[in-house]
Amino acid sequence: MFETGIRQFRMALAMVTGRRINPRLIELLAGDAVATLQEFGAPGDDVGELLDGPFADPDSREHFQTQAIRRTLRRIATRSPHYRDLLSGVDIQQLTLADFAGFPVTTKADLIAHGPDFVCTDVSPYLSTRTTGTTGRPIEIWMSVYEAALWPAFAALSGLLRDEIRPSDCLQVNISSRATAAVQHSLDVCRLAHARTRVMGQVPATQSLDSLLDREPTLLGAYPSYLAQLVTEARRRGVTPGDFALRGINAGGEVLSPSLAAGAQQTLGAPVTDIFGMTETLPVSGRTCAAGHLHPDLNMGLVEVVSFTGPEPTAPGELGRMVITPYFPYRDCMPILRYDTGDVVRQLSGEALGCEFAGTPAVSAICGKVSQLITTRSGVVTTRDIVEVLESLPSRPWPARYRAVERNGVLLLTVPSAALAGLTTVEVSDRFGERGIDCVIEVSEPGAVLRGVRADLVETTFTDSLVTAGV
Amino acid sequence: MSDLLVSQSMLQLVVACTATLTTTGGAVAYLRHIRVERPTVGTFNLYDIRNLMLLVIGLPLVYIVLPQWSFIILLLLTFGSALAIGLRPLIPPGPMWLGIGILLGANIWVARTMLGTQGGWQLYWVLVDIATLAAAISVANLFVQGGMRMLHASWFVMGLAIYDFMFAEVFKVTQVLTDRFVGYPLNPGVGIRWHIYGVEIGLGDLLAFGIYAAATYKAYGVTALRIAMAFILVFGVLAGSLTPLVISEVIRGSLNAVVPVQTLFGPPAFCLYLWFRHHYGPERTMAEFRAALEAESAPVLPGAESEVGRDLGRVGGQTAAAP
Repeated sequence: MFETGIRQFRMALAMVTGRRINPRLIELLAGDAVATLQEFGAPGDDVGELLDGPFADPDSREHFQTQAIRRTLRRIATRSPHYRDLLSGVDIQQLTLADFAGFPVTTKADLIAHGPDFVCTDVSPYLSTRTTGTTGRPIEIWMSVYEAALWPAFAALSGLLRDEIRPSDCLQVNISSRATAAVQHSLDVCRLAHARTRVMGQVPATQSLDSLLDREPTLLGAYPSYLAQLVTEARRRGVTPGDFALRGINAGGEVLSPSLAAGAQQTLGAPVTDIFGMTETLPVSGRTCAAGHLHPDLNMGLVEVVSFTGPEPTAPGELGRMVITPYFPYRDCMPILRYDTGDVVRQLSGEALGCEFAGTPAVSAICGKVSQLITTRSGVVTTRDIVEVLESLPSRPWPARYRAVERNGVLLLTVPSAALAGLTTVEVSDRFGERGIDCVIEVSEPGAVLRGVRADLVETTFTDSLVTAGV
Repeated sequence: MSDLLVSQSMLQLVVACTATLTTTGGAVAYLRHIRVERPTVGTFNLYDIRNLMLLVIGLPLVYIVLPQWSFIILLLLTFGSALAIGLRPLIPPGPMWLGIGILLGANIWVARTMLGTQGGWQLYWVLVDIATLAAAISVANLFVQGGMRMLHASWFVMGLAIYDFMFAEVFKVTQVLTDRFVGYPLNPGVGIRWHIYGVEIGLGDLLAFGIYAAATYKAYGVTALRIAMAFILVFGVLAGSLTPLVISEVIRGSLNAVVPVQTLFGPPAFCLYLWFRHHYGPERTMAEFRAALEAESAPVLPGAESEVGRDLGRVGGQTAAAP
């Protein structure tokens, strides 16, 4: 107890002074959290204060964010070849958040074209992780040993205190095995939480379902499209929630529709949490509350919502691009400033939040990618608009497959005939109409190329062929 | 052996027995009914025992080095914080600090102005006794509700056994300290002045008994507590009070005796823990203890026997809900 207090003090001191945090310190605190849960069954008093930070009060939040941005810029100004010129002549000590909002955004194209220049000169890169490239060319992000140890340690500590992971848990990981950062992160979080891990990758859904049905996994991490395949396979087999031991499902990386989340809970027997995480902006993450807001972790980085047309912040209630700056000392090896995630969110209208994470400011859930927005005469249509309508159809066409284009000012949506089962194209169009979207539905030709999803990155195994050969 | 020494030892026995029963009973009752605040992360472990022992060894040395006038500052801090820990869940902050201030202030005032009379001494001891008993009950609960297990409590009393022997019989520090505290405000002990006799049991001994009793009850239930109480009363209270009648080395002058009580209590207490562990198995965690208490207090249908209540009576270690 005494040593835990000392560790917490050292952690707080490092955070306040902005120095690198010894990852071992956080790992030991995670161990203390495990011991606390084993003895008491729950964390002690004031757990919210420890986890959520000073973000409920706008003045405290601005002070914290200003200090964190200045700290981050001070380091980047001398250590990052890419940003050195941009920051030369900037009076960082006097910089405000409003000044920072005038900085140019860093784009995916910048990272692709000048990747090595983003690596700081005082850090040895250790592990590279690549984006899955669903929106084009993959990006390579380098991590240092320090980051590889620090991020999971913080995640394990907060996960234990928030009851997102328990020592008794077994996490089944159904994300791409090539997502090295995310897989390594999951492995280390489970190690520090004294939990078990089962890394499956994106093997055929039937194999993952078999794994879930042995009642070992209690937590599942998957992309929404892969989760859709699991749920569909489970329904096909006629299994019930009682056949699983799951207590939680984390889905992220794609748009998760309420219909799929509800269907997964109904079939697999565990609630689905829509989480946000992005390779380029690690370790900044976000949680979605029951009200559907995305609450980014403001301890780790600055999150802005910027207009589609310029650098100015988006007005309340409007759609915008999510721009993220991870802070030093959490982002160390390859820092980025004002990274344009390409994700579209809606700025909340400003009224006080009443959700369970009300202490942390929020934006809407991710609506899709900027590159996939479709402008019609009735307004901008996002991926979420389309996915939510399609995945709520009685046929449960999970994950939603479609091709969307604008034609004559309306949304022209091509969908497989199976998605319509029992409905006419007009009836489906009417469902879009109920959301204020003018839409024409077409049935796709067999073999037509429709929307790609992460579940398409199937990882093959010998299992099926061995069974077939009778070995 | 003088009759005076016999009478003094009998009085010591009565005082020590009363103070010990009050402390252990109070600590267990507090554990059952009141929750002290605990930090978000952290539970008691063996490193804390090491730190605690360093404090136990270091503090007397500090008291010897410090000038006597400065004791009152340290003791005010010690008693003030200890009482606040225990009273905070019971009383709002304002009245709580007012009450603590009145108790400690009255103690200082009486010690400075009224010790020339028998009545003054009685009042002095009443005030000191209240503060000491409340502090012992509070700190015992701070530790046990902070996750201290019987394992830790047993190592703690074993450490105290060695400390007590070395400081009382080898280095003679305990005697010097006792002399420095008697008649001064906030004497950390429970005592009484009766006729020509003056007897006292120290805060450290009461704290050790309180911790051991509460940790035993949390770990293994009420039957184990009864056995532990028998050990406390026999090896701690009875042996501690009557030792001057059989071992003359602990006597200084005619009636002045300093007995290393924990040296007598520690080894049997540690052996009892080993036996409990062998007999009943792993200790209950605080979560399991709380769950058992809640189940015990839940209404029971007529004719149905309370499983957890039965387990608590039988002593734990064997089931998940009330091991």
